[in-house]
Amino acid sequence: MSETAPARQTSGPVETTRRAVLWVPDWPVVAAMAEASVRVDAPAAVLHGRGLIAVSAAARAAGVRRGMRRRLAQRACPEVVVLAHDEGRDARAFESVAAAAEEVVSGVEISRPGLLMIPAAGAARFHGSEEALAEALVTAVAEVAGYESSVGMADGLLAAVLAARSSTMVKPGGSADFLAEAPVEVLALAAMERRQREQVEDLVGVLGRLGLRTLADVTALPAGDVLARFGPVGMWAHRTATGQDVRPPVLRRSEEDIAVSYAFEEPAQRVEQLALVAAHVAGLLDAALLDAGVRCGRVRIAATTERGDTLERVWRTDVGSRAGAFARHMADRVRWQLEGWLSGTAAGPERAPLTSLTVTAEDVVPLGAEQAYLWGGVSGADSRAQRTLERVQGLLGADAVLAVREQGGRSPRDRVLALPWGQEVPPARRIEHPWPGRIPDPAPATVLPMPEPLEVLDAGGAPVRIDRRLAMSAPPTWVRLQADPHDQRAAAARRHPSSGKMGRADEGPAWGLPQPVEAWAGPWPIAERWWSEDASRRACLQIALRRPDGSPGQALLASFTGGSWVLEAVYD
Amino acid sequence: MSDLGVIIEHMFEREGSLAMTPGAALAIDTTSAASREERLSRARAALAGVESRIGAAREGWDRPVLPLASDLAPLLPDGLRRGQVVAVSGATSLMLALAAEASRAGSWTAVVGMPAVGVVAAARRGIELDRLALIPHPGAQAAQAVGACVDGMDLVLLGQGLALSEADRRRVASRARERGGVIIAAGDWTGAHVRLDVERSSWSGLGSGEGRLRERELTVAVSGRRQGGVRRVRVLLDTDPGLRWSRSGARVDEEVA
Repeated sequence: MSETAPARQTSGPVETTRRAVLWVPDWPVVAAMAEASVRVDAPAAVLHGRGLIAVSAAARAAGVRRGMRRRLAQRACPEVVVLAHDEGRDARAFESVAAAAEEVVSGVEISRPGLLMIPAAGAARFHGSEEALAEALVTAVAEVAGYESSVGMADGLLAAVLAARSSTMVKPGGSADFLAEAPVEVLALAAMERRQREQVEDLVGVLGRLGLRTLADVTALPAGDVLARFGPVGMWAHRTATGQDVRPPVLRRSEEDIAVSYAFEEPAQRVEQLALVAAHVAGLLDAALLDAGVRCGRVRIAATTERGDTLERVWRTDVGSRAGAFARHMADRVRWQLEGWLSGTAAGPERAPLTSLTVTAEDVVPLGAEQAYLWGGVSGADSRAQRTLERVQGLLGADAVLAVREQGGRSPRDRVLALPWGQEVPPARRIEHPWPGRIPDPAPATVLPMPEPLEVLDAGGAPVRIDRRLAMSAPPTWVRLQADPHDQRAAAARRHPSSGKMGRADEGPAWGLPQPVEAWAGPWPIAERWWSEDASRRACLQIALRRPDGSPGQALLASFTGGSWVLEAVYD
Repeated sequence: MSDLGVIIEHMFEREGSLAMTPGAALAIDTTSAASREERLSRARAALAGVESRIGAAREGWDRPVLPLASDLAPLLPDGLRRGQVVAVSGATSLMLALAAEASRAGSWTAVVGMPAVGVVAAARRGIELDRLALIPHPGAQAAQAVGACVDGMDLVLLGQGLALSEADRRRVASRARERGGVIIAAGDWTGAHVRLDVERSSWSGLGSGEGRLRERELTVAVSGRRQGGVRRVRVLLDTDPGLRWSRSGARVDEEVA
């Protein structure tokens, strides 16, 4: 093995760290079973795509293997419970394991759901011996989180992962010997991200075809040749196989949220009173953050009413970058939040005097962990725009400036989520879902906030109707839009006795002249949420109009619901 | 200084445009027998002389440009210059398309007084929603809100129903010139640098009961302070390569029918 390979010299490996690895076997299926309340001893498997990706112990005993198709698995074990794959669930559920382990040691790294990495040196000294540390970890995870796990210790990443699988304590310095006889397939265990694992699996296949069966065969190759032949992945594999570390463990250290609350001696009813208190509370929070040497990314403001209801909103704010102005900034947020509620315009619990106000700093990070650019805030233009929008919010009120996001939905209006600038709410509808029946692109540039009435007429002037089976009574030939309120002629026609509106001129819309339809498409059905109270059933038409002089006119999106037509959007 | 240059330039432009109309050309011809080219070159020389004397170079007005999509370049041959007011009438999507490329390149966009703007359409045109703020109903304080936006944002899109007086508009435009923002206003704007009037917009892709809106061609009349007459430009806003591929088939269907 040549020690003079250039890759060695430029980026030398990190010194190996003594690590403990805590491994929960078959984590995806264990987490899925816990969520679906399947009995622990029942055979179960997690299916992703076409193959099983994790199999419970009982199912394995019955002959079900990873990578099997669902049908094969059911033939081997008819009572196997097949559960859906969900990476988010795996990660979420593993938090409890990490929290349990953190009761024993001070910092852990979640390498992937199912695998925890812990630097062992200090913790083992604290607990007396490595065996005592392993015992404490397994006990804590079993008692607090309720999962069976195994712990192994070794120098270096791959050796520790392998040791955890067999619950062994590899002696310090013995990692290279421990790994020497292992087959090359174990390299994939040290790859934590999916992309990397795919690359490593490809590499393992190639190594197998080249006749390299064990890690000793791989490490016997000169490092420079491995880099030249297999690139960075090969270099990574070579280094891992010799028992070295590629990087030290990155510990997560959870910072507690910092909360400051204020209880009113007498329930408060006026906004001014609250704003004063808010400024005071924000000052306290600012001081508390400074004392702890942290900054926060979000602030949650919660007010409790006499009835016990809570009024809560989360604001994204960068407290660190606004140093002294935080109190005033926060007082504005509190005033906006409560003004709307007290005046009854915003939705929320029933109005009642407030008994306490709590301001909580969330997303807490140590000062200096995040850094802005060297010159000018987050970047010059960004902070200037932020300040501008805050100024406009101060001028017009928080709800007057909106930030928009795209969300899932079928009609153009549903596909937008508008929120007051700076406020955070998760989108109600996921954009990745398929949304069958969505109106196809291009999207209309004008989407009416409230649909306007519209008349779609057939050649004889009778309204076109669409029945439940999407059959149209006649093809649309004429469209009447609402007249422009400034249109004198339409107003006069409306006042004229022949309009039939004598004496009740403000009833119903004023219609403009009928315009001929050039082309149309549809009807496209949109039936939504039939199981709930806000169910809607609509049929949409795209209509292109023709002007009186024969040139093409507007293109519209109209929908028919409940026996009448409305204008949803204009493609202008 | 630069204002003087602009005024002189305008005088020259007016003279130039007068010379285009036959009656005026006749009137001038009686006073001087010189050809049009000669008069133009003489006027240019005089202008250059004035500029060199008082130091008002034409480049003084030429500010850096914001990026603009290449298929919209025929509309604004000078590019989307900072400090400009562009008045667009007849198409919201054209306003969005003008703003899109700059937004993608990192500019912030405020949309004031357009409660009905289609956000999905804006996102599809390329406007970055993280850097987009909507102020749908500024109400009576429109002038202050628009002024604040012009101060802090690169691109400000203004709707039609804003409560802005002529004086407010002049003030906002001069603020934009000073700060280097671009105002894209719907409807009429006295003194706009460029006016884009959409005269005709034809969609294709719809049939009688089948198809969908796919491709649109706009005919835009471009006029402005710096040019005499009106140019007409055709722009394809929503292009659909699949449509062109299938169009011949559709035509055959029509003939059969």
